[in-house]
Amino acid sequence: MSSFILPSLIFSPLLGVVILFFLSKNQEKAIKIVGFLATLPSLLLSLFLYVQYKAGTELSDFAIKEAWFTFGNLKQYDPKLFAVDFELALDGFSLVMVILTAVLSTLAAIASIHIKKEWKGYFILFLILQVGMLGVFTSQNLILFFIFFEITLIPMFFLIGKWGYLEKEKAAYSFLIYNGLGSAILLIVIMVLFARTGTSNIEALRYIMTVGGVSLIAPISGVMKYALLIALLVAFGIKLPIFPLHTWMLRVHVQAPPSIVMLHAGVLLKIGAFGLIRFGMGIFPQEFQKIAIYLAILGVINLLYGAFLALIQTDFKMVLAYSSISHMGIVLIGVGALNEAGIQGAIFQVVSHGLIAALLFFLVGVMYERVQTSSIDRLGGLAKIMPLTSGFLLAAGMASLGMPGMSGFVSEFMAFLGLFKEEPVLAGIGAIGIILTAVYLLRAVLGITFGTAKQPVPLPAEKSDIRAIEMAPVLVLLLLIVLIGVFPSILSGPLQGAVEAIMIGIGG
Amino acid sequence: MMENAWIIPLFPLFSFLFLLLFGRKMKESSAYIGMMLTFVSLLYSLLVLFDRFTAPTYKAEATWLTIGDVQLTAGYEVNQLNALMLVIVSLVSFLVHMYSKGYMHGDERFPIFYAYLGLFTFAMLGLVISPNLLQLYFFWELVGLGSFLLIGFYFFKEEAKQAAKKAFIMTRIGDVGLLIGMILLFWQVGSFEYDEIFKAVSAGDISAGMITLTSLFIFVGAVGKSGQFPLHTWLPDAMEGPTPVSALIHAATMVAAGVYLVAAMFPLFSASDTAMLTVAVIGGFTAIFAASIGLVQKDIKRVLAYSTVSQLGYMMLALGSAGYAAGVFHLMTHAFFKALLFLAAGSVIHAVHTQNIEEMGGLWKKMRITGPLFLIGTLAISGVPFFSGFFSKDEILIATWEHGNFGLFWLALIAAFFTAFYMFRLFFMVFTGESKSNHSNTHESPGIMTIPMIVLGILAVISGYVNTPWFGTFLGDWLTEGNEALGHGHIEGPAWIMIAATAVSLAGILLAYLVYGKRSVSRDFLGGEASTMHSILYNKYFIDEIYQFTIVSITKAISLFLSFIDRFVVEGLIYAVTGVIRRLGKTGSAFQTGQVQQYGMAAFLGLAILLVIFVLTGGYIL
Repeated sequence: MSSFILPSLIFSPLLGVVILFFLSKNQEKAIKIVGFLATLPSLLLSLFLYVQYKAGTELSDFAIKEAWFTFGNLKQYDPKLFAVDFELALDGFSLVMVILTAVLSTLAAIASIHIKKEWKGYFILFLILQVGMLGVFTSQNLILFFIFFEITLIPMFFLIGKWGYLEKEKAAYSFLIYNGLGSAILLIVIMVLFARTGTSNIEALRYIMTVGGVSLIAPISGVMKYALLIALLVAFGIKLPIFPLHTWMLRVHVQAPPSIVMLHAGVLLKIGAFGLIRFGMGIFPQEFQKIAIYLAILGVINLLYGAFLALIQTDFKMVLAYSSISHMGIVLIGVGALNEAGIQGAIFQVVSHGLIAALLFFLVGVMYERVQTSSIDRLGGLAKIMPLTSGFLLAAGMASLGMPGMSGFVSEFMAFLGLFKEEPVLAGIGAIGIILTAVYLLRAVLGITFGTAKQPVPLPAEKSDIRAIEMAPVLVLLLLIVLIGVFPSILSGPLQGAVEAIMIGIGG
Repeated sequence: MMENAWIIPLFPLFSFLFLLLFGRKMKESSAYIGMMLTFVSLLYSLLVLFDRFTAPTYKAEATWLTIGDVQLTAGYEVNQLNALMLVIVSLVSFLVHMYSKGYMHGDERFPIFYAYLGLFTFAMLGLVISPNLLQLYFFWELVGLGSFLLIGFYFFKEEAKQAAKKAFIMTRIGDVGLLIGMILLFWQVGSFEYDEIFKAVSAGDISAGMITLTSLFIFVGAVGKSGQFPLHTWLPDAMEGPTPVSALIHAATMVAAGVYLVAAMFPLFSASDTAMLTVAVIGGFTAIFAASIGLVQKDIKRVLAYSTVSQLGYMMLALGSAGYAAGVFHLMTHAFFKALLFLAAGSVIHAVHTQNIEEMGGLWKKMRITGPLFLIGTLAISGVPFFSGFFSKDEILIATWEHGNFGLFWLALIAAFFTAFYMFRLFFMVFTGESKSNHSNTHESPGIMTIPMIVLGILAVISGYVNTPWFGTFLGDWLTEGNEALGHGHIEGPAWIMIAATAVSLAGILLAYLVYGKRSVSRDFLGGEASTMHSILYNKYFIDEIYQFTIVSITKAISLFLSFIDRFVVEGLIYAVTGVIRRLGKTGSAFQTGQVQQYGMAAFLGLAILLVIFVLTGGYIL
């Protein structure tokens, strides 16, 4: 029975795709309901997994492994050689990511009520995107990972290009080019590893690289390891994004529809962090240790660069886009610290920023629906006409700037705790970012909600505040943010094993 | 009782959550929820305090977060300082809850106001029972959030928006210092617990340099929160908040959190002479610096705000001069008389609808309760004998003198003169002389507002007697009992200090009377409003402007510069790359001539190159 869980979790959204095919494209309501419902099985199953995990079931019980295909006819030498299995499994880290993905997918499906056209195509792509994201976090070999990784790209391209704002095409192409480039580099890394070791299984690769003593098809020299690791960093660095590979992501944040940005900022960017930790740190721990300091420096650069630029943006969406860059700097800082506190902080930040970014972009969507702009220069005094929305926006801003009691604080704190142990001076410089974050977020949030309206905007009619259905995602996200902020052990529990495994790899 | 002290902060938290959810329906009866719940907290705090008189310190903790093999804990502790703070906070909070019922009457967002008050009270109570630095920081920030929300309560006012933003950011600058300090300390000690830290300090496990460094960083946090120079500028602006808030947060409790922090970390600070001297100098300087600004301000709340900054400076001066008990004592008396002054000022503002003291006058006859109460507060803060401020200020002066900070002692004495002068200037301008406004219906505030003021008025008189050189220094002895690191509860000093302090305060009052009461000395006796000195003081030494031209401008310049980089260098690089690729493609297409020989040639050459590489490397590069 347990062997069905993971495949159903990942592929159940396809059921929705099938049903959508049979709906006429004008049945807006039905399409939206089906789209929403199709995200639910994954959500329920992922929560079920969490409950099972809490009850003491080993996560490895849910792993599945089926022979899939092999390259060449090498069975006579070694049945495993160049064989690619269809293998899915979970550990604490991936469980957390799967839950994050499932929750955000459902909420983004609710946020899709603001989509104005061609709902059928939209939801088909949306659900395929969800399959890709869920697959990425559960794949146990690099080839399968790569396939799911690619599955996320294509729907994303169309979702941005078709349902986005004014400059959507440019944003979509920009997205495709950068991410295509990243994929190509990733593919090269995977192929080199595969060709020289004969396996793409992540566990096997980790063993080969760290323990060694396995005869390989061809040796991998020390220099080659560094080259592969750096290629991985570039590939995932584009995704995260790391300065200076970030410009595509700004366009996506601003141009894509808010429901899609929720997934993009909430989950897709996190694949970069996931890959960095899982593959970079997992497969090349020794080499990773050597370059960790540079990652920490890049992290501080990301943090400050994003913050300084967020400070002078006039469009709220741009503020949030640069803020994402800045917050991903925290992930790099934690990863670069390369100790328990840092790594745990990095993973916390992945989850926390996923929730907070989704919340912020959802609220942007709610606001844009009513006032047709997100320009800070034009807006003002929204608290008067939209008190609840404004209150939520303020709460989301507080979460983003790391207010204790909310998840952002825990992750920021741990990442800095980690870096202060290793590089106190660098961490001290990075700490300036904590101040800047407060400055740009308050400037933007207060600029929109406090004061009085600066320019006449198409003011919504009375009773234009957030509706009940829109309130659901907000409350769920806020609840999760506060829950993690007050009881971080609900998150650190599942992560413990994964973090320990990484630390053993590093030899710490 | 102490075993259950954790429940004290939860009542106001419940008030916050409840009013957030149901406040809209409750309307102004929200006040009763808030009052009732803070009253329970107050009762409980009193019980805990009485319990603490006879029982030893109580502490309980549980794991909050595990990092590797380190367990970070959360819990609560009731020691002397905490128990005292619990009572001060819950008492002032309760009185402010009560007072606000009258003051905020008719406000559209009345329930939200009470919800925010609940949030703040929760955070402040949580702060004072924290047994470790991490938890303190947690509530430290939440307290700041409460303050921010309440300063910005009138969100539609541009000034309120700016003030709220400024308060948040300025204190956050300090908070980052605290964060750095505590993390550095953590990696020295392996724990955030106060006990563990002090144990490591006394055992000499931390190098002297590290003690100084970490205590200075922690002090930065205290400077931000307690409005000490140079991070003081947010506090006067915070007066944009409703006046009851100014009384609770920006006078009695939150701004005292910085002083509390230094007091709570006193064993760390006292282990470093540099740190102690820094605290004393910053405190002493702030005391006279803010007092001098207070001399010329025209807004009743701003005068009080600068006097708060100045009085907090006194407390820092005391702590930095090893006068632990003196600092905490003044924290307590100040909480009472400053809350009283603010509430009385609120009562005045409520009656005359202006904050400009130039437009006030002759209110003594019209406000028969507020007037005398304001006078009590003024006498207390001025250090007139027999009032509470007299005793606590005296302790501070003695501590400063005995610690050998003679320069700072004289500064503090001059500041005391200033204090008496500007406070009585305020009193005479508001309550005596001719009535300037044509508000014929100026009336005394309702009982719900005057009762809290009367309670505070009584405390402003009697609270000094818990620690006097005449009848016994009960408070000081109790506070320092069983802990050598905190020094003596009472420091003996020369008797002339008390006489000198009395003399300067009476001199200040006399001068104020001559200028503003009797008007026998011209207001311009020192040059008047046209003088440069007046302009410098009135503009608060142009500190805001200096910040504007330095830090703010530099930050903006960096942002613009990076924006330029982002737009031209980063994007440009990408255009360059795509350009090169396009060029390559063009060059490549030039080879598509259609001549088969040429294709064959290319294919052959390519194969040859590949073969050479294969032979040389054995098939694998690297």
